[in-house]
Amino acid sequence: MVYIKWFFIIVFWVFVAAFFHYTLPQKDIVRVTDTENRRIDFGENSIFWASPDAGNAGVAANRDVFFIQTVRENGSVMVYRNEDTGWGWPPYFKFDTSNLQAEAADLKSTSEAPKWALITHYGWRNEFFTIFPNAISITPMENPDVGKPIPWVNIVILIVFAAIFWAIYVRWRRFRQRRLDPTFEEWQGNIEAAGDAVAERRGRFRRWLGTWRA
Amino acid sequence: MFALARLVVIGFIALSIIYVCLSLYSRAVRRSKLKAEWNEDSDGDRDAFIDAGLAEYDGSLRRKLILGVYVVPAVIVALIIYLTNFA
Repeated sequence: MVYIKWFFIIVFWVFVAAFFHYTLPQKDIVRVTDTENRRIDFGENSIFWASPDAGNAGVAANRDVFFIQTVRENGSVMVYRNEDTGWGWPPYFKFDTSNLQAEAADLKSTSEAPKWALITHYGWRNEFFTIFPNAISITPMENPDVGKPIPWVNIVILIVFAAIFWAIYVRWRRFRQRRLDPTFEEWQGNIEAAGDAVAERRGRFRRWLGTWRA
Repeated sequence: MFALARLVVIGFIALSIIYVCLSLYSRAVRRSKLKAEWNEDSDGDRDAFIDAGLAEYDGSLRRKLILGVYVVPAVIVALIIYLTNFA
């Protein structure tokens, strides 16, 4: 039983970690090689796409999505989608998709004369589902050797989340120890007493039956 | 506008649930503190002492600060909109 319990606890926390890893902003140092606009027919992967530009007509089976193609500092490639998140989830409240596409196009460079940029994004690239991280902002970088800045936003969000979780958890545990456990023990005592009473009565019934046998 | 209306309505409901829970919890904590205070130096009627203390709490700034449950997320949303789109 203890293994099953730990299995569920570990699965729960893996999901929490994956949720934050997907949703919180991350920064990459990249060189934009191209920007484009592609028609996407959403299928099984539709959950990994955001919303159409704010103000446009909503639920369509397909629509055009901006893409930013990049090469990262370590030489690997990364393709970002560029979509509004609008008023929905995740709460980036991004409405400036077209402006961001213009900024990215302005930073296009070749490998001979690289122009580095710091791109903020959330989400995952996964080839099997054809999903892409969503770019949030892009800023030019004079010197890529400076490295990525310290992710203060993520640190603050995770600390606040941990504090709220802990505050609720200790109060719940205290409530359980003070109120629920004594009540359950009382019930358990009552059930045991009831069981004893039944057993005793049955014993008397048996003895009474025995008197007929003799 | 539909998306904004959905956010506002669902957000308002969720924050209202948090607000009510927090209000009840905060009042219960105050009540138990008053009980503990009365137990230390008991003078006069216990219920009257607790009622007076809770009446004082009802008018206090501390209770009004719980309205921050509505204010803080609204400010954060406005800040994120500014930082994402205009900064």
